[in-house]
Amino acid sequence: MQVKFEFVIYDEDLDKFNLDENMYLLELDDEQTETYNLIKDVDLHLYNWFQESEFFTDWIKEEVYPDSIGKKIAIGHINDIAFLRFYFFKVTSGDIHYEYFKRLFNLYHESDWQDREEFGEEILEHLMIKRQELIIELKEDIPEEEEGDDKPDGNDQEASE
Amino acid sequence: MDHKYLNNMLSEMDKDLASKGLSRRDAMKLAGISGASLLMGGGTTAEASTEEIASSGAKGKIVIVGGGLAGMSTAARLTLNLSNPDITVIEPEAKSVSYQPGQTLVAAGIWDADDISYNRDDFVPDGVKVIEDKVIDFQPNKNEVTTASGQVVSYDYLIVATGLQLDFERIKGLEYAGRAYSSGDNTKLLNALGESGICSLYTAEGAVKTWELMQKSIEQAASGKKTKFVFTHPSTPIKCGGAPKKIVYLTNSRLKEADARENAEIVFYPNGGAMFGVPEYHDAILAQFKREGFKWHYRHNLIEVEPENKIAVFDSKWQEKGEWDPVLKEFEVIAKHEKVRVSYDFLHITPPQLAPREVRESDLGSAKGWVPVNKETLQHVKYDNIFAIGDIAQVPMGKTGGSVRKQYKVLVDNLIAHMEGKPLTAKYAGYTVCPLITSIGTVMLAEFDWTVKPTPSFPLDPTVERWVFWLMKVYALKPMTMYGMLSGRA
Repeated sequence: MQVKFEFVIYDEDLDKFNLDENMYLLELDDEQTETYNLIKDVDLHLYNWFQESEFFTDWIKEEVYPDSIGKKIAIGHINDIAFLRFYFFKVTSGDIHYEYFKRLFNLYHESDWQDREEFGEEILEHLMIKRQELIIELKEDIPEEEEGDDKPDGNDQEASE
Repeated sequence: MDHKYLNNMLSEMDKDLASKGLSRRDAMKLAGISGASLLMGGGTTAEASTEEIASSGAKGKIVIVGGGLAGMSTAARLTLNLSNPDITVIEPEAKSVSYQPGQTLVAAGIWDADDISYNRDDFVPDGVKVIEDKVIDFQPNKNEVTTASGQVVSYDYLIVATGLQLDFERIKGLEYAGRAYSSGDNTKLLNALGESGICSLYTAEGAVKTWELMQKSIEQAASGKKTKFVFTHPSTPIKCGGAPKKIVYLTNSRLKEADARENAEIVFYPNGGAMFGVPEYHDAILAQFKREGFKWHYRHNLIEVEPENKIAVFDSKWQEKGEWDPVLKEFEVIAKHEKVRVSYDFLHITPPQLAPREVRESDLGSAKGWVPVNKETLQHVKYDNIFAIGDIAQVPMGKTGGSVRKQYKVLVDNLIAHMEGKPLTAKYAGYTVCPLITSIGTVMLAEFDWTVKPTPSFPLDPTVERWVFWLMKVYALKPMTMYGMLSGRA
């Protein structure tokens, strides 16, 4: 099965996303296709699965953005499922996005008492965190023996606590 | 209670029932069965466990800030469920316990003010200490609160039940009204509203004043003079989201009773874009508004009054199509505003509402001021020995007594579980109830939860106005609240 991807590039200095208007095709094997079909109806599950799959990040580093270690990207489309609202939502965006984020961030209120601007700002606050979760940083592969010595994840976690 | 009116109402009901082949006895039987079900708290999917839990030997000093319905009911239930309770309630007002759902009935002359206001000390459970003072500072990192008199009170567990404040001072022209609580002395607020056709039932005294003003305005309409009744709903969360509309319906009933309806213009200005957050109830209310000849203008927020000119100024909002967004492939939506001046003879204000300053500015409050809790367990998101309940708790909906009736059992179960070092398993599912009075004699019982779907306790169409729910509202719910909840049992 072939899956169609589009990406956005994160500009860390400006804290903004730019569209990569190219389309990229990834071939899934049978097992991956089965997983894809199981979770394709929940957009963020699908996103997370790709984001955390080695075959996917390897594909990006080798074929989509070769020689781009350090680059930060995010998925804009997986087939017809769009994630662009996460990166390009603004207070003036359409109601359909407000409804989506109200459900996602559990922002339901007893009536639509909030002004659109105020509600939009609240969504943007949530998105500041969510966007960071969606960003995929293209890191250099670390040989296994070095990984054991440095324990970068463990050190990071201790530091953050 | 207006017995003459009740007799007329019952007479009308008998006629209505007879047309359906039912006697009042048959109907009361239905009401009795259903009412009992409600009183027992059964029949909804949004239940907290109502089974009595075994008395716990857990120990710890519990401080409850706020002695209103939520705080006192929680204190009562804790004393039932702890074998050695150490509970202190901090509450400055002697008349802090009130039956606020009755304020709409007072505002329409159906109940008297005495029917809804009670002495705090009559509801203090045995063994519970009361500090008659106001908490002005929370120090959650030290497990302490400080009162206005300078007393520092330490705790092991804290329950925040302060309620909310009515923010009249946000409305230009009423700045001197200040901020008020629903209970207590509100002379300053009443003086600020004055005799210029402005009223608000959101305090007990204000409800009495509303009835006085309503009668004068109805007299004016009955004399043949065109009279304009204006009602508002603000841009903030409010307690009892149905109340701004209940007073519309009750005014309409009283106008019809006085044969003055044809000279009255009734106009409702809600800030929101719908009558109710639950689509089924929105549709039902809209049909009722059309049937009764009310006017309404969505997205109007009261921002100013000119009492001397009898003018209300609204911030009117609408949306226009903006630029094409090539990335999201849609037209932008541009919010527009303009001030709209509206004349009135009778102006009922539902004030903006906010968390009290001492909560809002403390480490306990969220950016919006409310106490951020896990919406199911009611435990503070940051401080695990702190819980919040009622109007001050940041849960998605339902600043009502009906919500508190579900919340306080959940809170007590979870607090005791926490004291015992066990997981918190009791869950609040967002249930709330709004007995929406649609006339004197009929109520639409709007029950719902976080599914934003009607969750009726009765096997009846929840969008239909029924007199049995009126009887329940007027006769059953208050005793259940005052003698059931405040004893920690209902």
